[in-house]
Formats: sequence, C-alpha cells, structure tokens
Amino acid sequence: MPLLTKDMVPNILRLGGSFQVDEDIPPRFAPGDRVRARDINPTGHTRLPRYARGRQGVIERDYGVFIFPDTNARGEGKKPQHLYNVRFMSRDLWGPGAGARDSVYLDMWDDYLDNA
Amino acid sequence: MSGHTHDGGTELSDIELRVRALESLLTEKGLVEPDALNELIDTYEKKIGPRNGSKVVARAWTDPGFKKRLLEDANAALAEMGYEGRQGETMVVLENTPKIHNMVVCTLCSCYPWPVLGLPPVWYKSFPYRSRAVIDPRGVLKEFGLELDEDVEVRVWDSTSEVRFIVLPERPAGTEGMSEDELAEIVNRNSLIGTAKVQAPSAKGESA
Amino acid sequence: MNGVHDMGGMHGMGPIVLEEDEPVFHAEWERRIFALMRAMSVWERWNIDMSRHARERIPPARYLGSSYYERFLYSLETLLVEKGFLTQEEIEERVAELAREEA
Repeated sequence: MPLLTKDMVPNILRLGGSFQVDEDIPPRFAPGDRVRARDINPTGHTRLPRYARGRQGVIERDYGVFIFPDTNARGEGKKPQHLYNVRFMSRDLWGPGAGARDSVYLDMWDDYLDNA
Repeated sequence: MSGHTHDGGTELSDIELRVRALESLLTEKGLVEPDALNELIDTYEKKIGPRNGSKVVARAWTDPGFKKRLLEDANAALAEMGYEGRQGETMVVLENTPKIHNMVVCTLCSCYPWPVLGLPPVWYKSFPYRSRAVIDPRGVLKEFGLELDEDVEVRVWDSTSEVRFIVLPERPAGTEGMSEDELAEIVNRNSLIGTAKVQAPSAKGESA
Repeated sequence: MNGVHDMGGMHGMGPIVLEEDEPVFHAEWERRIFALMRAMSVWERWNIDMSRHARERIPPARYLGSSYYERFLYSLETLLVEKGFLTQEEIEERVAELAREEA
C-alpha cells in the first residue's frame, strides 16, 4: 500500500477493513445451540473477555466466516472461522444479584466455544 | 502549543511533544502526508457524526420498508443512505421495544460504529462505562437519568468482534405529526448507543 | 492476555462523567495522533488486531492513568518501533530537540 494522500482518504474510509472471509467453512454451531465459552488464558491478544470464560450461553446468530483475531494479532494468519453472537443470561455471568431478565450478548468465534 | 493547563503542565506538554515528534519524523520520512492527516481530521470532526444515525432512525420510524431492511440487513440499508465504511463493515441494528432495552459497549477497548455515529464520546471510552455496562447496566442507565421497570429486559451488547451495533430507539408518543427531518432533530446520540430514550419535543417545541 | 484492559465487571472505576456538548477532539494533539494512527495503518505493516494488542500491552499503571488518545500515542510508538518505521532512539532524540526548542 502506498503513502496515504488526501485524495485517497474518502475511498480508504469508505472501503474500511475486510474482516469477513469468502471461504466455505462449515460452522460448528447453529442458532439455538447451547454452548460454553472456553476457559482459555492466552498471553497474546484475544477478544474473549475473562468475565465470559467458562460460562454457558446460547448461539443467537451466525455471522459467517471472519478473520480470527487471536492468530491475526500474532501475524500467524487469518485462521478464518465462523463468528457467532452468543447470549449469556446476566445471572449466569454475575450471579443472583443480576437482573433476572437481563442478558449480555458477545460475539465469539468457533475457537472460543464448545458444546455445553 | 500553549493554553493546555487543565491537566498538570509537564505531563500534558510531554504528550504534545511526543505527538509532534512522531508527526515530524514520519512527515520527514515521507510516511505521512500532512494534507491527508488534515483530511482525516476534518472528516471525523466535521463530516461524519451522530447526525447520520439520527437520520437513519428518523427514516426507520417513517418508512416501514426501510425499517424492515434495516433490521434484516443493516449494511445494505445503511448503504442506501451512504453510511458505510471503516468501523462499520458489519452492522447490526437492535430494536428497542417497551419490553426490551438494548445497550452497546466495548469492554475491551472502545469499538464504536464510526460511519453512523462518528467518533465515540469520552464516556463511552471511559473505564466506568466499559467496566460497569455489562455487570450493572441498570445502575449505569440511572447515571444517565434513565430508570427502567423491572419487567423490561436489558440486553447489553459487548462489541468483541468487528461487528458494530446501533440501537433503534423507540419512537416517543406525541411525535405523530412530525416530518422525517423534524424527527431526526430529536434523536439524540445516546439513544443510538442505548443510554437514553428519545423524548418528544415539549409543548413549547423544544426537543430534549 | 489477562490485562487490565479486560475490564468488564471490574469495580472501583468511579462514576460516569458526562460532558455536555463535548467536542470530538479535546486538544490539537488528539487530532494529530488520531490521524497519524489512521494514516500509518494504511501501510499495512500491522493489522487492527496487532494495534489493539499494542494498546493492551501498555503497562497497567500507565494504561489506567491515561486517556484514550494517550493510549493511541503509546501504542503507536510501540507499533512504529516494532514494525521498523522508526527507532526508539530517533523518537527520543526528536522529543529532546523539540523540548529544547520549547524551553
């Protein structure tokens, strides 16, 4: 990529990044599946927050195939895989003090999840 | 640079020096071009901002077909209005109802839907919001002056991927006769993040 | 990494401070560092995940004691040095030069 010049700016901003990957990779999960976030503790970059690790949730949505940040951050490649939105009941994250009806939704990759 | 005294002189001027050092070095080495830098700043300071999101909401409120498209394929619907690009490559719109209140956060950094809302406000990027939105959303909303009934379901969306979320707030009663442009004027930025509701204009015609 | 940036659920961060009609940028240096970060990303010597991780690697006391755009500054320095655009020495030299000019 060359030096960013003024006339390039609108296009650069309009295009944005390309995080979705056009690869036909089968998903491991489907909406409605009960899943458990893995208890991983990588020393490198991850987008799996500690508060959700080991917790049970439900797949809400499959967004398709995306770059996996954990490997991408190490320069170890895109490792494309399915990205899901997962719903966690707040009480399952924080205990009985949380609102009974409340929930937290997180986006999670295949590698963050196991069957519950 | 003079005039920045609000945060302890030496600390702040050290930061200014470092920023200037980087800019001067990178410019000299031909790695950045000043006109491009200024264009970037101008774009996000003047051109892209929450007014975009307000217009989206106003259109969704007045055009059921658009609203449907917005909820089913936000990217395509937003692109109709020209709102696309960096930090909005994959968009999801969350509809608030009387019984469901959505709220958006990025606990890990400050991810935010730039094409629709511009750059995030300081409170959104702050540690109090990032830490508490997921564990005490109702407490956070109270600090914004919003108290929800217990039978309302609060859904907090933590932006952990490149998917970006905006809230489609409820249309308040008393706005029935308003035009799309007039409606866009009353949609405040916080309602698009989920920390406020939209208020109908008061009898005197002033919006909240 | 299990860093302080991973703060969902943490306590003690204080009340949410709201500023009425706040500007997009609160100082000129914020404008510049925002633009520098964006412009240097275009070289694609790092990706967005690397840039986030560079922020996460800011030492915790500094991370917690700095503002959003300060963290841009620290992480951009890290990225520029690690990816070979600048050396730490030339940055410090230039900072010292500018400081002498200011004095």
